[in-house]
Amino acid sequence: MPVSRFARQTRWSLIVLTGAMLVFLYLPIAFLILFSFEDAATPGLPITGLTIHWYQVLASDSAIQNALLTSIEVAVVVTIIASIVGTMVAFPLVRGGVRGAGVLRLLFTLPIMIPGFLIGIGLLIFFRQGLHPLVDVQLGLYTVVAGHLVFTIPFVVLIVASRLQGFDRRLEWASADLGASPMRTLRHIVLPLIAPAILAGALLCVTLSIDEFVITFFLIGPQQTLPLYIYTQIKFGVTPEVNAIATVILLVSLLTVALGSLLLTGRRRLLRRPR
Amino acid sequence: MTVESEAGVPAAPTAGSSTGRLQRFGRALPALPGLAVLVFLFLVPMAIMFVFSFWKTNNDFVAVPDWNLGNYARFFVEGTYLRTFIKTLIMAALVTTTALAIGLPFAYFLVRYTGKLTQRVILLAVIVPFWTSYLVRVYAWQAILGEHGALNQILQAIGVIKVPLDIFNYDDPGVFVVLTYIYFPFALLALYASLEKFDFTQLNAAQDLGARPDQAFRHILLPQIRAGIITACIFVFIPILGEFLTPTLVGGAQSSLIANLVLNFLRNDQFAEGAALAIIIAAFVTAIMIVFRKSFRVEDVVTSG
Repeated sequence: MPVSRFARQTRWSLIVLTGAMLVFLYLPIAFLILFSFEDAATPGLPITGLTIHWYQVLASDSAIQNALLTSIEVAVVVTIIASIVGTMVAFPLVRGGVRGAGVLRLLFTLPIMIPGFLIGIGLLIFFRQGLHPLVDVQLGLYTVVAGHLVFTIPFVVLIVASRLQGFDRRLEWASADLGASPMRTLRHIVLPLIAPAILAGALLCVTLSIDEFVITFFLIGPQQTLPLYIYTQIKFGVTPEVNAIATVILLVSLLTVALGSLLLTGRRRLLRRPR
Repeated sequence: MTVESEAGVPAAPTAGSSTGRLQRFGRALPALPGLAVLVFLFLVPMAIMFVFSFWKTNNDFVAVPDWNLGNYARFFVEGTYLRTFIKTLIMAALVTTTALAIGLPFAYFLVRYTGKLTQRVILLAVIVPFWTSYLVRVYAWQAILGEHGALNQILQAIGVIKVPLDIFNYDDPGVFVVLTYIYFPFALLALYASLEKFDFTQLNAAQDLGARPDQAFRHILLPQIRAGIITACIFVFIPILGEFLTPTLVGGAQSSLIANLVLNFLRNDQFAEGAALAIIIAAFVTAIMIVFRKSFRVEDVVTSG
């Protein structure tokens, strides 16, 4: 604890600032949840009564369910490809001995940094006109998957690479000394040890893909993913139903992310190289 | 076991020898699928967009190789584009400054005043919402800032105002608040990661040696968390250059940012014109990343928490 004449004041002002910021961060979420249970057809204060009506509407709304299914479909494909491909990239990136590893590292951080907006219009122009002389690409779920892969793979690479960095390679050498083939070592030693990171990366892919709006906005065809459906609803005017579906999405992704975070930190100690 | 292998560095194959090259290629092999995805779905589209920005859109809404600089000239000649771009930069700078001004004491508080568990809980509380739906989080503000939103209702109820205010909804202040809300967690994570590594006894040492607190802050703390501050700035500043949703949902006709103007071109299928504007944004983003590449850590933000 720092020693100073103003220590008490400093401490209290910091507590107030932090508390106020936390309130600021959760305020809109709180109102969203509150309004999703509100009786009135136009949500707002004062609250006239509480109801679960909007959730019942959700449960019987086939448009929302179709949008949700489309989102899940996209997320599953994206997650499977991104987890495998991303994990594969992490190995040469961390283990070295590859020329241009620095460039590779930069390339795989770019899509995280570049606004999704630029990735989206780049791909839109590419699919709509850039590829035109070769093939006629129709915008649809394939193009959305392509767009999602661009930014999910780098996330998997970063997460797996950062775990691989702390990996005790002597375990691999021991396995090889004991006569295991490289494939066997990979399967029985390496993969089980980095599995939590891969799983955390996969969970992140699922949430990122299901929640993704910007890139999908440019690349979607006639179908609708859930965020796109919500967007159209908002544009047409707010219905309390949107608050309900938004609440559900928020809670589900909160849970997924919390789970992923636990996975990453819970096993971290195991992977740390002994000193 | 040799000393090198102890340190985790296997003996490197002799460069240039054919087996070395083969081995190297073999080791790089797993990266190929990922590399292919990024090259074909990221680098090539960006390159095509760059080429298109020098073309023209014909009457059939197809970009044709009629090389010209007109798309770029428009940016400087027609006042709207330059004005909106400068406005976007100012907005991004304001949000970045605010995020730093709040994030720095916030992170300092976490590192200095709270135990390990509280630290983790508060960090998680800040991080978790920011991985959740971006659209939903922007939308959630309509419930507060909207015409019938909580803010207006509460202000009216306590008699501060008589008619609903517009300044937050459908105007720049609302966009500013929401952008700060969306990007603050990035700043906090980067600042926290760098403050956590700082050894605070150095500050005491500096003051023991006669430095004033502000001198100790400037000459001891600041240089060591410089990378964290830069990372925080970049993670807030850059995404705002591509923001179009927040102005659409909580702003009005007057609060368009530069990305909204690109969108207008795309809506009319004017790909060449839109590409030029997008390339200007991309050039800006790239320039920022090149200038600060040395002191910029993506990992701090992505893999912490």
